[in-house]
Amino acid sequence: MAVPQTRSMGLPLINLLRLKGAPILQQLHLEERLLRTSYDNWCIINDGTTKRTVVMGVSGKAEELLEIDSVLRDEIPVIRRFTGGTVIVDQGTIFVTFVCNKDAFPDLQSYPQPIMSWSSLIYKKVFQGIGDFSLRENDYVLGNRKFGGNAQSITKTRWVHHTSFLWDYEVSNMGYLKLPKRAPDYRQARDHLDFICRMKDHIPRSNFIERTIDAVGSHFVLRSVDPEASQSPLSSKFEPSSRLLKREELEEAIFNSRSRGACAASASQAS
Amino acid sequence: MICRRICRRNPWSFSHWWRSVYPATTPPSAAAWADARRASSGLGFLARAQPNIFVNRRTFSLFQSHHEGDSLSIQFGTRGCNFTTHALGDSPIGGVVDVPLAQTGEGIAECELLKWFVQEGDQVEEFQPLCEVQSDKATIEITSRYRGKVSKVLHIPGDIVKVGETLLKMVVDENAVSDQCSETLEVIKVHDSNTSEVDVTDSGPKKAKIGGALSTPAVRNFAKQLGVNIEDLHGSGKEGRVLKEDVLNYAAREGILKESSVSSDDSSADEYLERDQKLTEVASTYGREYDDRTVPLRGFQRAMVKSMTLAAKIPHFHYVDEINCDALVQLKASFQDENSDPGVKHTFLPVLIKSLSMALSKYPLLNSCFNEELQEVTLKGPHNIGIAMATPHGLVVPNIKKVQCLSILEITKELSRLQQLASANKLSSDDITGGTITLSNIGAIGGKFGSPLINVPEVSIIAIGRIQKIPQFDEDGNVYPASIVTVNIGADHRVLDGATVAMFCNEWKLFIEKPELLMLHMK
Repeated sequence: MAVPQTRSMGLPLINLLRLKGAPILQQLHLEERLLRTSYDNWCIINDGTTKRTVVMGVSGKAEELLEIDSVLRDEIPVIRRFTGGTVIVDQGTIFVTFVCNKDAFPDLQSYPQPIMSWSSLIYKKVFQGIGDFSLRENDYVLGNRKFGGNAQSITKTRWVHHTSFLWDYEVSNMGYLKLPKRAPDYRQARDHLDFICRMKDHIPRSNFIERTIDAVGSHFVLRSVDPEASQSPLSSKFEPSSRLLKREELEEAIFNSRSRGACAASASQAS
Repeated sequence: MICRRICRRNPWSFSHWWRSVYPATTPPSAAAWADARRASSGLGFLARAQPNIFVNRRTFSLFQSHHEGDSLSIQFGTRGCNFTTHALGDSPIGGVVDVPLAQTGEGIAECELLKWFVQEGDQVEEFQPLCEVQSDKATIEITSRYRGKVSKVLHIPGDIVKVGETLLKMVVDENAVSDQCSETLEVIKVHDSNTSEVDVTDSGPKKAKIGGALSTPAVRNFAKQLGVNIEDLHGSGKEGRVLKEDVLNYAAREGILKESSVSSDDSSADEYLERDQKLTEVASTYGREYDDRTVPLRGFQRAMVKSMTLAAKIPHFHYVDEINCDALVQLKASFQDENSDPGVKHTFLPVLIKSLSMALSKYPLLNSCFNEELQEVTLKGPHNIGIAMATPHGLVVPNIKKVQCLSILEITKELSRLQQLASANKLSSDDITGGTITLSNIGAIGGKFGSPLINVPEVSIIAIGRIQKIPQFDEDGNVYPASIVTVNIGADHRVLDGATVAMFCNEWKLFIEKPELLMLHMK
């Protein structure tokens, strides 16, 4: 394994890739490919995605997380990604992803919580003087309202930490998501609309992106990378695991949940 | 980050132990002892306990002056270990060890097991990923601390495992115990008569790793693939590490890898001889391939012999034309963009098929059947458009029934269904009979256009070449790019004449170049 020139002036080098409107599946494939086949550190910023899409976690159960009937009726694509968490994304979502080597920061333990805390340092800088930013459990909040959700994947030598920021959202879109069974404590059973907030009410869009890049620059030496350059396959044998779910799979999920419900109902009737 | 386990197995010295258990900030002075003795009767035990302290290390009664008769009894074992985030069971040397869920950091109590990377019986290397777990929003790869063999897997994907709970049991290799404290290692080694690897008189170059050459798991795997015993190698890396180059050089020397270049200039006589021997071996292998090989024709190939023999009787003529596919390319892109079903992949063929059917409605003579004996032509009602498919088993032409009644999406799905069946050699006889006209998309493989042979008893066949972007001239003499495809229509000249085929082709071409016209016929 070639050791790249990772340190300059004591800071690790990071490749900065700026995308705009890239489809979320394409972004997830890119992230996974960089995680598993690259030796560099990467920061990917995707300013909005093309089409509204539901993104589900690696082990998420569609029947528990989504209103599948509405999703199928309105033909919303559903993607299962290689990290956890569920989110509905569209043009109003800004994505920021870090793909790093474990030894980029020798003092940083490569476990979920330490990486989460490290990332919050960056955004604390972004929101300094702008909002009451903090990290609560796995979410970025302003006050007590979530505006950014995080997920990670940690491998033997590298990790990915990606965030979906709610720059803006459609109220109707939230109707496709159910109230999750496992919710953070601070949510306190609040409905989606009482739980989340729009970043656009606090900071202009381009401002957020520029400030984020500046904040990243205080932890890394930035090197801008052309989007075309990153598209070329670093390793043609790599198969990403994030995928679009088929219609049949979602229909099967509804069927399973209904039959489970029917069993439960008949069981309670029998007893 | 690997956290070390510090294990203290030595019996605790008295002073060490005394410091650990005495709660007061200062150790008791002789005066304090004397005072204690003078105090209430309940404290008399202290004088007696003193010898006990030395004899019985297991319990110790603590003296506290303000609580008469009170005593705290602290139990502790003779063995103490400080654990870091990697909790371990008993000494794993050569035995079965419980590998717990760890490497998750603080604040995580349990994880869901997502998938295993190993199974029972697998040999694993140090740091090799064992499984992937998920906690909240993070997926984490759990790697092995040891080199050994998986003896029992205790959970299945979907199980919730608590941090610290055993994930699997492993039989650890003897020489994987580099983290153990050296004194324990030596103590046990002396008693273990099975350690044949411990050979003190071993030759110098081999590194200190008992019984094994130093190398990474990747290099070991590579050596294994080549059939090279890594123990035989002399490492050229740091600290005598065996590198991939060492394996390659060794393999080449041992003749495991055939030398591809024949450079006779600087080779010694011996090497030349060796190479010569290898060449004769190679020649004999190749020699066998120059013999004749007889292949009996079966299945699709046999059917092809039959149909082509019949086709040879038909007087064919071929009509060639070019079609501008710019609109078609745009249409396909539009279908694909709005496609939310990953089971459906939009290609050009369904649009070509549907527009062909539209043109056939106007020129039904191309969708007919010629009966030579009765000298009559049957104009077929349904447009059963056959699609020539190249499969590993040969050429086969299943057809899509009644295309005039199908939508483009339905055609796409049906085409996909037939393609899958064809490649699996599972087409039914109904799928391959009843065709009325055939489309051969040879362009999918290559070629500009072909001169196809008619699929008897049909009267026409259409070969489509590859869509190519070529320069065209407009009215003002300016060059512009256009996606052009060449088509070649083979027709039975006993039934069709050039004019009919030309007009039919013009009609078809119109629908391809202006697909919006298809909407005029939408019901």
